[in-house]
Amino acid sequence: MKTITFDQKKTSSIALEFDELITDNIYSWTEEDFAAYKVPVGNSRFPITDYFDITVEGEAESPAEVKMILNGDCNRVKYIGCKMSAGEVVVNGDADLHVGAEMSGGVVTVFGNVAAHAGREMKGGKLEIMGNTKEFCGASYIGEWRGMSGGEIIIHGNAGKQCGECLVGGKIHVLGDCDILAGIHMTKGTIEIDGNVNRWPGGQMKNGNIVIHGKVGRLLEGFVEQGIVTDPELDGIVYPGRYIEYKGDIALNGKGTLIIDAEKNRDRLSTWIEEDDEYNAIREYRAQ
Amino acid sequence: MEYILKNGIVYDPANEVNGEKMDICFKDGKIVEDVSADAEVLDVTDKIVMPAGVDPHAHVAGPKLVVGRLYRPEDERRGVAQKTKVTRAEAGFSIPSCPTTGYRYSRMGYGTVCEAAMPPLEAKHTHEEINTIPNIDINPLPLFGNNWFVMEYARENRIDDLAAFIAAMLRVSKGYGVKIVNPCGSEAWGWGMNVHGYDDKAPYFDVTSREVVRALAKANEQLGLPHSIHIHPNDLGHPGNVPTTIATLDSIKDIAKSTKASAGVRDQTIHCTHAQFHSYTGNSWKDAASGAEEVADFINKNPYVTCDVGQVTFDETTTMTADAPMEYDLFKISGLKWANKDIECETAAGIIPCIYSPKTPVSTLQWAIGLELFLHIENPWQVCLTTDHPNAGPFIRYPKIISWLMSAEKRMSMIDNGEVHKWASKRTGLAGLEREYDFYEIATISRAAPARIHGFQDRGALTPGYNADIAVYDINPNDFDPSKDPEGVEKAFSNAYYTIKDGQIVVKDGDIVSTKQSHTIWTNVIGYEEEEKQIIDSIMPFFTQYYSVKWENYQVHDHYVPNPTRVDVEAK
Repeated sequence: MKTITFDQKKTSSIALEFDELITDNIYSWTEEDFAAYKVPVGNSRFPITDYFDITVEGEAESPAEVKMILNGDCNRVKYIGCKMSAGEVVVNGDADLHVGAEMSGGVVTVFGNVAAHAGREMKGGKLEIMGNTKEFCGASYIGEWRGMSGGEIIIHGNAGKQCGECLVGGKIHVLGDCDILAGIHMTKGTIEIDGNVNRWPGGQMKNGNIVIHGKVGRLLEGFVEQGIVTDPELDGIVYPGRYIEYKGDIALNGKGTLIIDAEKNRDRLSTWIEEDDEYNAIREYRAQ
Repeated sequence: MEYILKNGIVYDPANEVNGEKMDICFKDGKIVEDVSADAEVLDVTDKIVMPAGVDPHAHVAGPKLVVGRLYRPEDERRGVAQKTKVTRAEAGFSIPSCPTTGYRYSRMGYGTVCEAAMPPLEAKHTHEEINTIPNIDINPLPLFGNNWFVMEYARENRIDDLAAFIAAMLRVSKGYGVKIVNPCGSEAWGWGMNVHGYDDKAPYFDVTSREVVRALAKANEQLGLPHSIHIHPNDLGHPGNVPTTIATLDSIKDIAKSTKASAGVRDQTIHCTHAQFHSYTGNSWKDAASGAEEVADFINKNPYVTCDVGQVTFDETTTMTADAPMEYDLFKISGLKWANKDIECETAAGIIPCIYSPKTPVSTLQWAIGLELFLHIENPWQVCLTTDHPNAGPFIRYPKIISWLMSAEKRMSMIDNGEVHKWASKRTGLAGLEREYDFYEIATISRAAPARIHGFQDRGALTPGYNADIAVYDINPNDFDPSKDPEGVEKAFSNAYYTIKDGQIVVKDGDIVSTKQSHTIWTNVIGYEEEEKQIIDSIMPFFTQYYSVKWENYQVHDHYVPNPTRVDVEAK
């Protein structure tokens, strides 16, 4: 096992680009190799040692045997873990754009907040973010219609706009709140949101699942209510509780599943179905 | 500056040089018979020397490229390369940036490319893009097949007026020849319709595709333009389109080729572009099959017809064509993002991404039909190498196509190993074709034939006096079997050992070592000035009323074409 530790010496107002410093490329590097390496900064390159003290301990014969630790404020370091296929990356601080983008294996953990495009077009592996993310987490590149296709993203904080845009596989779990248009254009995979959702989850989704345990601000008209479901099972996972199930987005003849917590969204039921006893049934269920 | 390419093995079909070991000399940008003892010697011993490539049909500059680039940023990140001391940064795969386009053609040993669809209204912009593409000369073809004035002249059979209109528009747009795309169909698209078949009428114009094509062919030959009409027939990409294709080609049979010197280089009176897309039998994709043999048979029997293939290359690409209704059909099939562009009173365009996968039946059928056309057409002077870039695949795949053409073993292994869908063997005759191209035939379909078809009298051959546009490839054909080593063929043709453009070495060992300003090749018709003036005067009321630009802003002024190669045509 090899541990490569980057201790930050100074920050840069222009972002450093770390897409070459991934486990797949640096598993055999020595401290001398790092000392000779120049990192892209804007349209120039500067020695990586200007920004980080780098310590290498142990040996590795493959990327899977590498643990890369970044200590410091990396909110101007882009592409951490981008396109990596194995190994582990730990960021003890914030991170900039494209953390774990296009990664196909390994684990990236960020103990801070990350900027947009975290886990963009991820194919495999695990990305865990202890703080918040900004827009397009697990989404596609701009213009692309195929986003994250595999692996898992766990966000302990809140997620920004268009989380899981164009999702075609894998799972995104947001433990906090989520901004507008989560799962827009998604065709497969699952997005689970423990907190509240601002507006319009699943816009133009064709398939896949969105599970929302919190309150939903506004739903698009393309989602058709299917009724109340209890302990629904989606792709082999049971979500305990009572939920309102929707299918959509019918604007695109979509067959996606959107389930939202029935208790927290009871106003939606009372508005739509005033005459039946669904609301009372939910209250009774909760009281049990 | 004088140079001598020493001891190369030369393939120059226009001069019937087939693999002879010889020296090629050039001086001050031109091929010459001999040079002085001071000439710089470029040792190309046992390497292939050919004229630089000529692409007879591609889409490399113009408004639809811009739309494509704008709405496909995801394509731009494919093929990114950092700038060097010589080149600018490269980006893009199916719709590369303008400089990237020039660099990539150069690396393959190409020197001239035909931009196959220039709306006259957007000609200024097209020329601006051409000016930013280095290392390749470009001849843009203005679109005529759905122009309102053209349709009126065709309906009333006013060939003289049409000839004057063409002459005027070539001058106004700085264009090279007559391009026709889905005649009457793109106009019908303005009404949400299309034409199906050669004798359908454009709505409100009471004119058929047949009448438009025949009128344009007659006017083209009356002027004696260097290139024939260049047609994308109706019903592109629709199963069962073979009768339309053959009817289109057959309808020109009685129109004699011009006897003028300017038209003397070419043999054909009609050039059918991306014939692969026009060679399907069946009634729907359920029963579609190859019509390549039928189309090829027609071409074999009719020397007045030439074609380029539009070979599918199994890539994710971007389709873009002035056949806007076809693009809408494609959108309905694929559901991918679609852009539409209407060019007032002239044409339209559609753009949509397309994924050609060897695992899907339709893509495989298209791939096999393209190769069948190459292999069934007996005379290589009647067929050209194209992918209709970027519609069937990006031009950087030409070397791969060459490797397929030179190796029946490779083709069969793709079919037998399940690398391609079984429709290749079940619905086409590709598996039964053992023909393999040799280097002489490759030089013909990628250099000599396209140059002759376009009527070039300064390129496409290593004739003394011609431009010193030369490509050298690192293959010794005497100890190399292309049928056994398709990867070697692809590698060599992807990275020219030398590419020489107008006597300047622009590529060495596959790397760009210098860049050169492109030339814009356009046709200047002489002798029709009075008729042109009359015809412009006659259309001016309509133009002023319906066009959104003034005539003064419509014209491509000389400063838009800073590096012209003007082809003068004595039309009278």
